[in-house]
Amino acid sequence: MIQLENITKVYQTKVIETTALDNINIEVPEGEFLSIMGPSGCGKSTLLNIMGMIDEPTTGQVTVAGKLVGNYHSKATARFRNEQLGFIFQSFHLINELSVIDNVELPLIYRRVSGKQRRQMAEAALTQVGLSNRMKHFPSQLSGGQKQRVAIARAIVGQPRIILADEPTGNLDSAMGNEIMDILMRLNQEQGTTIVMVTHDETMARKTHRLVRLFDGQQVS
Amino acid sequence: MFSSYFKLAIKVLGRHRFFTFISLFGISFTLMILMVTTSFLETELGSHPPLTEKDRMVLLPRLIMKSLVTDTTWTVDTTMLDGQPAYDSTFTVGKQRQNSYSSSSLSYSFLDRYMRDIPGAEAHSFFCSDTQFDIFINGKKLNFKTLYSDATYWEIFNFNFLAGRSFQPSEVERQVQVAVLSRKAAVDYFGTTEQVVGRSIEMDGRQLEVIGIVEQPSNSKDYVTSEVYLPLTLMSGSALTETGFHGPFAAVFLAESPQARSTIVESIRQKADRIPLPNPEDYNKLELMPATVIGLYAYYMMPVQDDPEGALQMFTLVAIGLMLLFILLPTLNLINLNISRAMERSAEIGVRKAFGAHSGSILAQLVFENVVLTFLGGILGWLFALALIYLVNDSQVLGDTQLQFNTAVFLYSLLICLVFGILSGLLPAYRMSKLHIVNAIKFNNL
Repeated sequence: MIQLENITKVYQTKVIETTALDNINIEVPEGEFLSIMGPSGCGKSTLLNIMGMIDEPTTGQVTVAGKLVGNYHSKATARFRNEQLGFIFQSFHLINELSVIDNVELPLIYRRVSGKQRRQMAEAALTQVGLSNRMKHFPSQLSGGQKQRVAIARAIVGQPRIILADEPTGNLDSAMGNEIMDILMRLNQEQGTTIVMVTHDETMARKTHRLVRLFDGQQVS
Repeated sequence: MFSSYFKLAIKVLGRHRFFTFISLFGISFTLMILMVTTSFLETELGSHPPLTEKDRMVLLPRLIMKSLVTDTTWTVDTTMLDGQPAYDSTFTVGKQRQNSYSSSSLSYSFLDRYMRDIPGAEAHSFFCSDTQFDIFINGKKLNFKTLYSDATYWEIFNFNFLAGRSFQPSEVERQVQVAVLSRKAAVDYFGTTEQVVGRSIEMDGRQLEVIGIVEQPSNSKDYVTSEVYLPLTLMSGSALTETGFHGPFAAVFLAESPQARSTIVESIRQKADRIPLPNPEDYNKLELMPATVIGLYAYYMMPVQDDPEGALQMFTLVAIGLMLLFILLPTLNLINLNISRAMERSAEIGVRKAFGAHSGSILAQLVFENVVLTFLGGILGWLFALALIYLVNDSQVLGDTQLQFNTAVFLYSLLICLVFGILSGLLPAYRMSKLHIVNAIKFNNL
């Protein structure tokens, strides 16, 4: 489902050159739940962003859902991202001014889906994460775990084939973290969604099919 | 999509209330001034009665007489020829320069003799708008501006008659003692505009029968704005028989079409060159100053001597310059405020892009939000403008000019709002739309 070949990412300033990723080769088959671990600054999030086509590698090839990614800034790539990928962020990144259901509808806005259909799909996604009773609430009225469940609903509302989660439990206590992890595992098992998750939590990582470890931008296992 | 943008735009306004207040105040104040200015220009230059045919009119308000002389410079050289001094002289002819100058309105006899057959003119009228009379009624002194004209004047200028009619050619010819009053004059003199037609008004020692009442023109043009309108044959003294070129009259010509105005203007200018001058030793050059309605308006506003077209160009440039300046300054300020506000929404922009928004949709969203903000400011500005127009009209600070807020002004205002909204939103929106997703998401403010 995702194939990274010889990926390097170098951040260059006038003074210093930093290699964030060094010759990474990873293949994520369809339906796999992969976790990526490593110390802070080892390039985990950069790798996830490259998989999600929101960051561009310095060299190497990225193939997502059978498509070799070319122009990262094109309208076609944006549409492809919208249809194939869902993102979950550590700090939720919900829009505070919008209600829960409006937040969940966000990916569908860019898909020419009617207002009525958007609402139905968003309701279904919220039901799936157990928040059907919080649709009219605003993010500020929710707990951290609830916010992350809204973020998951937003990620799955467009029924993407891949979900990329950047430390989804990082800002939550263990109980809430487990809840989120259960939802992700259920998504993977029941719907066959391919999930790549960056985490610091060994316990969470062990629940996934495979674990990739990074150190100083290199894949060590 | 746009309903979602609209919902968010309204919510974002509530995020920083002070910022929103500053933005709305700036927008509404700017738009108020622009709307009132547009209203003023529309009132002054629009095709309202009695100037419904203004695009076909050519006015001839002035005549200029000049004495042009040519400078001649003599040079005398002295040389010795066979032991005797000899003198040799040469001269050079310099540029023509103006020695003296006289400019005024025209005499009736000049107009009558030279300006009756102007090619391209469907109709013409001669009139004098330069007279004032004091009238005493019930111990009160009234000062009435009086305009003398022929009957064609009423065919060229379409006045709104509240009652009665204008005077006929036969009445002008027979010097019938009739008058048309403005609404204001009727109210001042009779206390009403009802059943005034047929009654008499005493003016300049004469009893004049009121045959019509017209609505006061809402602009400041002296060739239509008056309190009393009389047949020109009622003018006292030698106003109609004076043979000089200068006098108190002006002329208006009605072209067959707006395009035919240039024929009239050119004909009048050419005719000036063929008119024999009464005292060539005093003035050896005659110029006539034909002007369109807008050109004449610009001529009175701009310090350009005897050149309505040049004045119009200058007026247009100054008006556009001032408008641009007035739009540009708050726009720049708003752009600045918008950039800082938009930067706070970096994470939101990043999330939207991650979920499939391309740069174009982010640009459209932010410009749309700004247009919503501008239209809110526009509604406030519109209310402020209505209030200001009411105050200006009520205080008569512009004299007879009564500002109106009509459909044309409203449409101009909508256009101004749209331009203002797009201009002030475009640059911040463009910058935000080009944000790199990864960098944008790093901001935690949502």
